[in-house]
Amino acid sequence: MEVVIILIIAGIIAYVIYQSLPNPKFQKASSLFDSGNLGEATKILNNIFEKHPDAPAKLAECKLKEGLNAKPKSDNEAIKYFNEVIEVKKRLPSNASKAKYEIIEAKAYFEIAVIQFSNSISVSNAETKVKNLKDNLRFIDTATKSGIESDFIALRKKHLSELAEIYFQFGTQNEKSAKLIEAIQQYATAKDYSVQSSNSKILYNATTRTGICKLKNKEHFEKTILEDVNKAPLEYKRDFFYRYAKKLLQDKEYSEAEKVIATHLNFSSPANDKIKELLKSKQVKSAIKKVNEINYTIEQLYENSFPVEDVKTLYETIDKRIEEIKSVVPTLSDRLQALKPSLFNKLLSHYISAEQYASAINLIQKYASFWESPELLKNLGICCYGFAAQGNLTEKNHRIVTSNWLTSVFSDKVILKSLEATTWDDNYTFTLTDAIGSNYEHHNDIPENVNYDDVSDANISIGATQRELLQQFESLLHKTISDPLLAKVVNDCYTEEKEALEKIVSVINKDILFAAPHFAKTYGLNEEIIKELDNDYVEYLNEESLEAGISYLKSNTDTYVREYATAKESVSKMVSAIRNEKLNDLKAVVADRKKSLIEKYETINDSAEDLVFNAFTLKIEQNEENENLIPLMDESISFLNQNEKLKAQCSQFIRDFCDSNWKKKPAVKLLELLIKSIKYNPSNYRAAKSITILINNNLMDIANDATTSASQIYSLIDDVKKIKSPVLKDALKELQVLRNKVLSSMGAEASKTILLGYNLNSNGMKLKKVLDTMQALAGGSSTSSIFDLL
Amino acid sequence: MSNPYEILKVNQDANKGEIMKAQMLAMKEKKYSLQEIAVAVRQLLDPAKRLAADYMFPTKIKSKRIQKIVVEIPVDEIDLNDIDENTFDSLK
Repeated sequence: MEVVIILIIAGIIAYVIYQSLPNPKFQKASSLFDSGNLGEATKILNNIFEKHPDAPAKLAECKLKEGLNAKPKSDNEAIKYFNEVIEVKKRLPSNASKAKYEIIEAKAYFEIAVIQFSNSISVSNAETKVKNLKDNLRFIDTATKSGIESDFIALRKKHLSELAEIYFQFGTQNEKSAKLIEAIQQYATAKDYSVQSSNSKILYNATTRTGICKLKNKEHFEKTILEDVNKAPLEYKRDFFYRYAKKLLQDKEYSEAEKVIATHLNFSSPANDKIKELLKSKQVKSAIKKVNEINYTIEQLYENSFPVEDVKTLYETIDKRIEEIKSVVPTLSDRLQALKPSLFNKLLSHYISAEQYASAINLIQKYASFWESPELLKNLGICCYGFAAQGNLTEKNHRIVTSNWLTSVFSDKVILKSLEATTWDDNYTFTLTDAIGSNYEHHNDIPENVNYDDVSDANISIGATQRELLQQFESLLHKTISDPLLAKVVNDCYTEEKEALEKIVSVINKDILFAAPHFAKTYGLNEEIIKELDNDYVEYLNEESLEAGISYLKSNTDTYVREYATAKESVSKMVSAIRNEKLNDLKAVVADRKKSLIEKYETINDSAEDLVFNAFTLKIEQNEENENLIPLMDESISFLNQNEKLKAQCSQFIRDFCDSNWKKKPAVKLLELLIKSIKYNPSNYRAAKSITILINNNLMDIANDATTSASQIYSLIDDVKKIKSPVLKDALKELQVLRNKVLSSMGAEASKTILLGYNLNSNGMKLKKVLDTMQALAGGSSTSSIFDLL
Repeated sequence: MSNPYEILKVNQDANKGEIMKAQMLAMKEKKYSLQEIAVAVRQLLDPAKRLAADYMFPTKIKSKRIQKIVVEIPVDEIDLNDIDENTFDSLK
């Protein structure tokens, strides 16, 4: 009994002691907090404040909750509690869980800041509002933010956005009072805040109003603001752009003003009509001023006897002037346009008389569609001749000079133009019958003293004149180019261009400008030439037309000339692949499906085999034992549909190759090659003989166990049996003789045994098969016969 | 390669007599060799070759004399000051 009592007492004491420990007390406080009994919880927590590490944080949490509960009723009371949370920090013991506390502290700070923000914006006085917002921003900046940084950022942005709005309002107030400099400053501040708070509305508005203030104040602004102005409200935009348009007119920036008015002031309004009229008036005045400047320049030109640099400057700037005024005063721009030929003439005459041929050539080439003028084309030819005569041809410029010259001389109309300038020729007539620029009577419009009759003493050949000119130029090239390499390049180019011209003249019936290839491609005249050549082909299936067009191809696709060129190029690639022994290149051509193109064009199809044959001939001459040629020949033969010559060539080559390599290559390999040879040319007697010998040798090797390729040999022999060649068949008869020799050498009994084929061992079977094969190839039956023994 | 007209100093419409006379003068002057003079004469006496020599004379394209441009365009007199920039004032 006493023990029981002692135990009970001990239990009570233990319980009391336990209850006085910090942990149980904290748990109790937590339970009270959870149940909402914040007062009791607070008492306990205060009691164990320094004993339990989480007590301060929990106490703070109680205060926070009390604050949140008080918030709907009274901001001040709520703030009081939140401040108490913050006050806890002052007596935080060293063992306390600081991190947990700071999370609560941050929330308290946040709540205070939210209340203060709400109070700030409800104030009516703008200056006070600004002060309060800025104070609260400072409060936020110094607050603990643990765990809720993003909330503080969002709250901060709200402050900045409000400030942006307020400063914008300050700005408009100052602007209304015409305090423009102050207004600009306020707008700048508003812009800063709007950028920080991503308030784009205030940003665009402030930018626009700043622009308007600067316009009012006649200050400069950066054109980069226009992008933001475009995003401002409509009334701001109109205000800005109307002022801006007026400023542009004041600054004589008429084209810019025109753009602004067209883009931003294109709504119906008398004010807009008025500004448009003003613009038009200003533009016309400006145009007249420009024309007057040109008139003054012309006066000066006359006074100073047309110095060439001034004429050139005027000529080169006149197009720009025309562009500037043509939409405003088209009549004046037309008159300016009419000046150009006169200025051109002045310049060209000067350049030619001063022998500045390069300048003259450049001047003519820049004249729009100069090739349509026989006078200009002739002058171009003269200048190119003069340029070449001065020894100025280089690798860079020779093509354009020779092409220009040839185009000029080949133009019959250019030559005929010369007749107009002189009277010595009045007693003569001129014939185009052998003119180099026409093939027959295809010029539609010729002068009265020109005809197509035969040449005579009184009927002068235009063709002779043209040939004389060409001959003079050719002599010139010979005399003026000392560098032999350049001379070759220039002469090759000249010949190429001339031959191309001659080809198209011989084919095209239409009266068009026959331009040399480089000239034609430079000025786009090749299109018409190729079109005419295509038409000629379609009508007459004349492949010469297509051949003629190859030099004129630029980027033209989808024409017969292009197709023809592609087919021709394929054959060239084949030849090149053969020359370089590049089997892959050859296979690439073959695989490209150009076979049908080559077959489509008769001239190419007919010449392809010869070109390839010649390429192989050259290679064989270089090296008769070049085994690499065989696969190239195989590819070429399979690709070209006309290939009999190639086959014969290949057959012969293989046969000769095998002959040279009789002792170097394995017999099986030689047999394989010779079978290819006889297939390509079934009449190749020497190949047939060689095959017979090889078959005999190979079979003897089988019989004597001297080869491991028996199955391959028999396979090749099966192939031989299928070849339809009378020459081969005849040659193979020799095998019968050889067979009989083998049999004779064996003796009668052995021969009989072999031929009958009974009780033979493996060697015997082998020999029998060999003999039977020889018999079959020679034209006899493969089965044994008693008559063989006779 | 000099133009035969330049060598013989004759104009483009010279007749045969004038050409022969010019030949004599050119030979006396000795500015060009006898061969050059002879070639020049042959060229000018052969109509086809003479036409080739004519080709080397530049041709002018048709154009008028360079003249000042008459400006007869009426211009409306509108003063910039007539434009009221505050027409669309957005702060009214």
